[in-house]
Amino acid sequence: MQSEKLIQSLLEQTREIINQVEQLRSYDFQTLTWKENELSWNTLECLAHLNLYGDFYLPAIERTIKSSTAKAELEFKSGFLGCYFAKSMLPKEKLNKMKTFKDKNPLNASLDKSVIDKFINQQIKLLELLNQSRKVSLNKVKIPTSISSLITLKLGDTFQFSINHSKRHLAQIEKIQVVMKKHSA
Amino acid sequence: MKEIVELSNQTITIGRNEFLKVKGSIDTNIYYVESGSLRVFILDEYEEQTIRFGYKENLIVSLDSFLTGKPSDFFIQAIKKTTVKVVTKQQIDTFFKTAVNSNLWTNILEGLILQQMEREIDLLTNSPKERYQRVLKRSPQLFQEIPNRYIANYLRMSAETLSRLKKS
Repeated sequence: MQSEKLIQSLLEQTREIINQVEQLRSYDFQTLTWKENELSWNTLECLAHLNLYGDFYLPAIERTIKSSTAKAELEFKSGFLGCYFAKSMLPKEKLNKMKTFKDKNPLNASLDKSVIDKFINQQIKLLELLNQSRKVSLNKVKIPTSISSLITLKLGDTFQFSINHSKRHLAQIEKIQVVMKKHSA
Repeated sequence: MKEIVELSNQTITIGRNEFLKVKGSIDTNIYYVESGSLRVFILDEYEEQTIRFGYKENLIVSLDSFLTGKPSDFFIQAIKKTTVKVVTKQQIDTFFKTAVNSNLWTNILEGLILQQMEREIDLLTNSPKERYQRVLKRSPQLFQEIPNRYIANYLRMSAETLSRLKKS
């Protein structure tokens, strides 16, 4: 795939994610904190979980782009692991459960609407980094994963992986709203 | 203008603060605002600078992308719930192949150049009061359609200064 095509697609996906989350601002606090049961997440917890990942990946990406000398290339080719990780994140028809690492679990943290502001700010930062990534190789620049610094993904795959991860939890938020409406009906 | 809007076969509605376009995207569409209002801005490290507004019956376009087909730094964001009609570059290109229509296009571009020149004078005008008066004279409707804080940013002054100028 052409690198610019990938960047355009990632920018567009990020735009859609921002717009989806902007709509959550009109919800009241009760809706944003409703959860199906004690162990499941509410809407704000889903966003807080994404923010924890943003706190990890965005600075890592920024640092790596700044220090990289690998020049931009016309073509991007997804890596084996990166492609697998990104695909595994995509929400399926019926959301499959995945394990959350303890340090990325916001369950029952005290949260307020500022979680939404933080999420939007991280997306604006992501847009900035996507723009900066035009200057470097999406193939040769490697970003360590949050699982282990020994496991790295291509920059292009890291972007798609992290955007798919956001999509996954936005699908979860949609599901929470549906279940909530059923309960109140 | 009517002829151009009629080319559209797609309508988009976005809510407050949602984006029609983000930094770095290639957007060669022209948008005709049916209702609501939008702003075009750029974002450097920390600061937003509003470049242009669009409200009912205005055309909004990322002109750099439209002309070159390349990425543009502009954000286009809804100030409130907004509905736009989308005219694609392809629809425009086909339409302006005939001589009569091509004159119309020249007129639109000339109008845009004149607006840009007015804006350039705005930006080079030192006195905040004069900047305010120029824009008020040119676009009185702007002050009905757009919240103060965005107009203040467009005029490169604080919201307090703008409200003081409006009273005087």
